[in-house]
Amino acid sequence: MATTVETTFRERLTRQPGPATKWLGVLLVLVALQFGAVMQTIMSTVPWGTIGGALPATAPWAALAGVGDALADLPTLLARDVIPNQGYQVPGEGWQGTFMGLSPAAAWGIRVSLVYLYSFGFVGWLGYGYLVFRRHYRAADWTPYDDMLGRLDGHRWGQFGLVVVLMFIVMALFAPTLGPTTVQSNIAEPFSHELQYFDENAGEVTTILVGEANLQSVSKGGGGRNVGPMQYDRYDRFHPFGTLPSGKDLFTFMVAGARVSLFIGLLYISLAAGLAVVLALVTAYYKGLADLTVVIAGDSVQALPQLLVLILLSFVLSDTWIAGIYNGGLLLALIFAITGWPYLWRAVRGPALQVSNEEWIDAAKSFGQRPVTTMRKHMLPYVVGYLLIYASLSLGGAIIGVAGLSFLGLGVNPPTPEWGRAVSAGQPYVATASWHISLIPGIMVVIIVTAFNALGDGIRDAVDPQSEAGSNEVAAGGGGA
Amino acid sequence: MTRWRYFARRLVLSIPILIFGTTATFWIIRAGPIDPAAAIIGPDGDQQAYQRIRDQLGLDEPLWQQYIDYMVGMFTGDFGQSWVLNPDTSTIVLLQQYAPRTMWLGFWSVLIALFIGIPLGFYAGLNPNSWSDYVASFGGIVWRAMPNFWLAVILVSLLSQSQQLFGFSWQEWIVNVNVVTAPPLDNLGDPQELLRAIKWTLPAAIVLGSSSMGNEMRIGRTAVLETKNSNYVEAAKARGIPGRSLVWKHVFRNALVPLVPIITGEAFLLIGGSVLVETVFAINGLGYLFFDATINGDLPLVGTLMFVFILLIVIINIVQDLMYTLIDPRVGYEGGDS
Repeated sequence: MATTVETTFRERLTRQPGPATKWLGVLLVLVALQFGAVMQTIMSTVPWGTIGGALPATAPWAALAGVGDALADLPTLLARDVIPNQGYQVPGEGWQGTFMGLSPAAAWGIRVSLVYLYSFGFVGWLGYGYLVFRRHYRAADWTPYDDMLGRLDGHRWGQFGLVVVLMFIVMALFAPTLGPTTVQSNIAEPFSHELQYFDENAGEVTTILVGEANLQSVSKGGGGRNVGPMQYDRYDRFHPFGTLPSGKDLFTFMVAGARVSLFIGLLYISLAAGLAVVLALVTAYYKGLADLTVVIAGDSVQALPQLLVLILLSFVLSDTWIAGIYNGGLLLALIFAITGWPYLWRAVRGPALQVSNEEWIDAAKSFGQRPVTTMRKHMLPYVVGYLLIYASLSLGGAIIGVAGLSFLGLGVNPPTPEWGRAVSAGQPYVATASWHISLIPGIMVVIIVTAFNALGDGIRDAVDPQSEAGSNEVAAGGGGA
Repeated sequence: MTRWRYFARRLVLSIPILIFGTTATFWIIRAGPIDPAAAIIGPDGDQQAYQRIRDQLGLDEPLWQQYIDYMVGMFTGDFGQSWVLNPDTSTIVLLQQYAPRTMWLGFWSVLIALFIGIPLGFYAGLNPNSWSDYVASFGGIVWRAMPNFWLAVILVSLLSQSQQLFGFSWQEWIVNVNVVTAPPLDNLGDPQELLRAIKWTLPAAIVLGSSSMGNEMRIGRTAVLETKNSNYVEAAKARGIPGRSLVWKHVFRNALVPLVPIITGEAFLLIGGSVLVETVFAINGLGYLFFDATINGDLPLVGTLMFVFILLIVIINIVQDLMYTLIDPRVGYEGGDS
């Protein structure tokens, strides 16, 4: 409820605790479902050993650590082992080792649906939280952001983009849970892992190395040497997207690759956008020489063909220590950021210059507000919307760029999954029964890049409804890959 | 500021850009961990030969000395000789050998993008919110999001097996062509050969022009929509100017203005995209040469190619700005967007 008297957030909260409590209650349910995973993260990421060492070694601490470990082992709704999909079929007895004796396909489908239901529940909870805050606890009755969100409300195209982008992010976040098998056992070290299957010739359950089984489930054209989408191989393993020419599972490869792409894209965007915004604000505020310097610097970087510099740098630096971090992902993100910031900077320079000519900036200057404060409080909020538009467009470009590089055998080091490498592996088999290897990764790229573009369009129409489709959005990131 | 002073200013501003680009290339290729001498003699060269090559190439001189030599060489037109790919051949000669194939490919990819993208965009803009508009717009959006290399892979496979897949042989249709590799370009005067060369390069050109085509369509549509609703078109309509001349003289001409940067911007896409497209289509053009030179550590060749590309981009940028001031005199020379 709006109040005319100035109140603090805490006062507003205590006056009307109902909606907030309800909201937190939903959180409790959501966390409870995944409690084990949360505890596991806490137990494994925080260096408890060092903390424990600094504290007096008394019994309560050890007991607490024991409780923590026990909690980390609690089953969570979305773990692989709660709804296992890896099993084998014994004739007459049905499926063994899968969730409730269902077929691996059904078990996997249930797990994927649950992951997406949970994730969208969580996103819905966040959105609901914002609405609760807006209705009951925000001091202001109205802010310009309300209008922006309102415009996004009827923007079906932008909403389509948002949903697909969220699905992509969930895919990257839950990659280990979503795959029908794991990267470790199927792609990275198949010869150190085993699986069980029912051997019809021997008439009994046999154990085989995953690597050996992969060799028998390759996709290399037709003639019995193909495991297509939604098919089982002869070891009763289910492959939602079929297998690679090496017999590895394409879906597991794709979800792991989504994680790599998203990491590189997000790191690149945060670095480039940070640089772009700082430069745009500083040059718009001071103008003159500062502006000219950055214009020349930006033009110089843009005069280097981005994709060629990417190829050159990722080849030149491929044997250095920096290419070893996150399998070359960090290096790629850095190169993308160094070569890509002028595109983002150009996009926000106009709005920054525009807002810097407003009267309130003059007013702030004249009563002696520090420049940094002026930029942060009076200029940044106006620029951020425009930044989001181009960040969304560039993310799509980065995904194409990373895929293009790995298609050429550069960038992300094998055997780390990357989509471009799947396209490259399937290149000889496009027109055969094994069409899925190249086609599915390509279609996924098209869908996700389209979604990022759609989201960018949606944000543009929300932020600046008068604007037309901008012209300098071209090739923001991909550079023609 | 007059047009010529503006032009002079642009020229002066492009000098630091060129110097920066060349410097960056030098430091990337020379200060990086690539050892050109090792790249030249291969893995089983002896120590003596290795040292001799290092002396010969002046690799043991201080890096700043090499840098100055390199910069002076680049800006005076002395680009040096290839080290690894084609030893003792001037890089300029190599460039001249490889460039025609890329230019032929680039020319057609620009042309196809222009002649499909803009008409489709204008058509969609003239018939907004109709089914054909939706189809065209959606097609443009998806087309734009397709990675070039993927499209190339799919197209190569489908075309080379068109006989088995569709019962229609692309290779034998009208004139005999290959799907991959570059067409022979030495006899373009002969109509039969010209047709053959065009058909041969068509698939690669479509792939290379794909993202520009999508962009041109999108911007063209928006531009027509905006011009159509502008006051001067309303006024012309009120004066009773017939539909056809209204569309051609008043709508299209003005709608072309925002398309200028898109068309010149294609140069960036062509230079970058040519690497992937030429690799997939096995066209031995400049992009292919660049990739080959890079992975073989042929530093002078990489340096020369980079220099030429940067020069090209700088020139195109200046031409674009000049074209802008010619087409639309309202664009200020002081221009916020320099």
